Amino acid sequence: MDASLLTTLGLIDCVVFKRVSVSEFQVMHNAGNWLDELLPETVNAKVFSFKQNSAYLEDFLIDAENLWIADKNGRIESGMWSEQLSSQLIRLEACAVVADHQGYLVVNKLDAKYRQKQQTLQIARELLLSTDRISAQHDYLHARFDELLSNQCNQALTAQQPVAQALAQTDLGVAILDPDLHLLNSNATLRSLFDDTNIKVNLPADKLLLELFRAQYPECERILSTASSWTGEIYWLNPPQQGKWLKLSIHPIKNEALKVENWLLSVSDVTQIKYLLKRNEKLTHFDALTNLPNRQYFWQQLETKIQQNRPFYLLYIDIKQFKRINELHGHLVGDEIIRDLSKRLNTLIHANDVIAKIGGTEFAVMMDVNHPHSQISSLDQEQCVKFAEELINASCLPFYLSSGLKCEVGLNVGAVAFPKDTHSAEELMKYADLAVYSAKKKALSCIEFYSKELIDASRKRIEMEDALRNAIENQQFELFLQPMLDLDSNKIMKAEALIRWHHANGDLIPPDEFIPLAEQTGLIIPIGKWVIKEACAILNRMAAKGHDIKLSINLSPRQVSDRQLFEFIKDTITKARVNPRNLELELTEGVLIDSYDKAHYLLNQVRQLGMSVSIDDFGTGYSSLSYLQKLPIDRLKIDRSFVKELNENNQDSIGAIILAVIAMAHSLKLEVIAEGVETELQKDFLKQHNCNIVQGFLFSRPVPFDDFCDLLERQKYSKVIPVSINTKHFYYRS
Amino acid sequence: MIQKKICLLGATGVGKTSLVKQYVEGIFSEKYLTSIGVKIDKKQIETAKQTVQFMIWDIEGIDRYCGFQAKYLRGASAFIIVTDHTRSQSLVEGLEILEMVKEVTDVPGVLAINKSDLPASWHWSETELEEIKQGFRQFFNTSAKTGEGVETMFSYLAHVLTE
Repeated sequence: MDASLLTTLGLIDCVVFKRVSVSEFQVMHNAGNWLDELLPETVNAKVFSFKQNSAYLEDFLIDAENLWIADKNGRIESGMWSEQLSSQLIRLEACAVVADHQGYLVVNKLDAKYRQKQQTLQIARELLLSTDRISAQHDYLHARFDELLSNQCNQALTAQQPVAQALAQTDLGVAILDPDLHLLNSNATLRSLFDDTNIKVNLPADKLLLELFRAQYPECERILSTASSWTGEIYWLNPPQQGKWLKLSIHPIKNEALKVENWLLSVSDVTQIKYLLKRNEKLTHFDALTNLPNRQYFWQQLETKIQQNRPFYLLYIDIKQFKRINELHGHLVGDEIIRDLSKRLNTLIHANDVIAKIGGTEFAVMMDVNHPHSQISSLDQEQCVKFAEELINASCLPFYLSSGLKCEVGLNVGAVAFPKDTHSAEELMKYADLAVYSAKKKALSCIEFYSKELIDASRKRIEMEDALRNAIENQQFELFLQPMLDLDSNKIMKAEALIRWHHANGDLIPPDEFIPLAEQTGLIIPIGKWVIKEACAILNRMAAKGHDIKLSINLSPRQVSDRQLFEFIKDTITKARVNPRNLELELTEGVLIDSYDKAHYLLNQVRQLGMSVSIDDFGTGYSSLSYLQKLPIDRLKIDRSFVKELNENNQDSIGAIILAVIAMAHSLKLEVIAEGVETELQKDFLKQHNCNIVQGFLFSRPVPFDDFCDLLERQKYSKVIPVSINTKHFYYRS
Repeated sequence: MIQKKICLLGATGVGKTSLVKQYVEGIFSEKYLTSIGVKIDKKQIETAKQTVQFMIWDIEGIDRYCGFQAKYLRGASAFIIVTDHTRSQSLVEGLEILEMVKEVTDVPGVLAINKSDLPASWHWSETELEEIKQGFRQFFNTSAKTGEGVETMFSYLAHVLTE
């Protein structure tokens, strides 16, 4: 077809240049009346060079020249740009091409495409700005009320002036509830949201919101029972008028011990935004970021699928610790990762499967099983596990971002089977949500299937969480002290403070059973603060008895990330009037590597204060020499696993590792502590090779404060070395 | 006369195009019309030392629909990160963009806190803002509507770039 006809039909409006040599071009095709004005150097020229009349195009020529010089068939595009001519504003896009060892430059005039793209993006961006504004209002409100309410134990305080002011000042509808979801306070905006109807609303606004949430989101129960935050949209059908779309945010306000003091409901009317969405069908059913179907579309498909009455799996997928990625790299990078991840997941979906993005970092998949039977079989479960593994593997490959960064993510996958587990769409979503919540608790990416046992375990865990939350308030924690002996003097020089939990049921729970849970739930922050306070109190009690001993306390990863930690330590030491030199912090290698900058900063600060620092479990992790040199540390603790394995038969192999650590530490002028010492042979070996300090059952288990003081007393009056392992009694010899 | 390329960067809807329009043509429109791609405007400015021709690259807002394109900064003499003080998130995104810019160039950058004709409604405290401003060569409160700070900002850049 004749090119001029195409131009007349408005199908193409472009110019084509042939590259003659470096910086010289020839006009091959000129369909546009705009070229002469844009690039006058092309007029009547057999061969021309660009004369800086289009800065954007000439900038693109740098990339184009690289392509042409490489002389391999291919093309690159410039991206759209605009040029203001005397009578018109034109929209262009250039393309550099190599075909049959010849370089071409094509410039397309794309006014129609520009308008179309602009119209779509205009709506999308107006939406983005509106939702962004509303989200910011909700976030600000949460922060403000967290500050106002989190430390108020007396609920009557919700009626106080600052709270009333904050309620009046916001454009959002707000309700403050007590932990049992009873209304304490609300504002006029909330009530006005439900005022414009002729139908009498029987429920108060806060109750109505919770009812709508309960009815429309199967996740409701789990969110309330686990004191989680939630934000989403609910629909209020208020006949005879048009329904209202409300953005609802549910936010627990917790006290220092992380116990829920209040629930905050904030609501805004987003009907207008939904109206904007309806103007573009694609935006109604598809997620703007990933182009995948959205939650509404997924629900429709789920209902249809259930009607077909054929077995399938519903997989609920959540990106592991995505909040951390957003915090570390920013939301733009976060968005880029979600977009790339969605592409990877989408390529793994089979023809009859459906994938959708159903929340900020959540996807859902309906996975078809490939047989005509009416029930799920164990083979199907294997197939589902395999599929989930494929999804997880796809997510684990690094993401190379446009900024040059490299990132890795993981997935939590929860699965539920239709019709085995339930027949209803609501329950499928609810059970899948519970399963994914359970998967979230695992350190590594995994799939969890819904089962009664899973729910029981989850309930047990929630009960344990509640009990842990109450433990601080009910003073159920106690610090046990495990002596550390100086091998030269055979005297107790220090002690490690180790937490024990006296559960209300009478059990004494060791830390390895509750610290991981505390770490996951964030309860480690208040518990860690209690440990610091209690350690200071113990130092004072010991000083009163005439003992000048150093106590070491353990810091967890989450504590190191707590920005207020140093201020807290400093305040506590000052208030308790203890000598900072009598306190030592113990951190594991993993914490140092994972939060290097934070740890480095914190350790410098505490050392300036006079405290010392030791590296716990040394040898099990990275054992990197470089951080040992760079970080301000005083001691290394050889991990118990090395010491424990040391016996008559392996002094050469295991002993060599221990000797290497001792030599390395001493060359860096660090002291060495060996933990887990249980036999005389181990002690003798360590002493013979100049290990400085030892700790272990050979000398004493961790003991309560009074027993520890007894040990110190006895030591005062005799040359003692404890020799026996015994929990209740301690044997000493002179 | 020397030519200097200045890049305007920022989140969607902060008023980059309006700032250029105000500076080059003295025009302002209330209607928000999203930009696609790049538009380059020229303007000459006299400094004490010489005449500078600015090539002002108005670059599409960086958001989930349009990522950061490092190539647009090639040959730039300076950049302006525009934020909107009625929208907290615009500064968060502005700072993310600043990080990405610093990965590819060390030319001077200034912060434009735009829409100063409207009351500030973002939730950044003065202390936080002071700290953020340290990351830039200079900052300006600007209004594309009234013109406040616009001329001053570009004159400052002309001055810095001819020193």
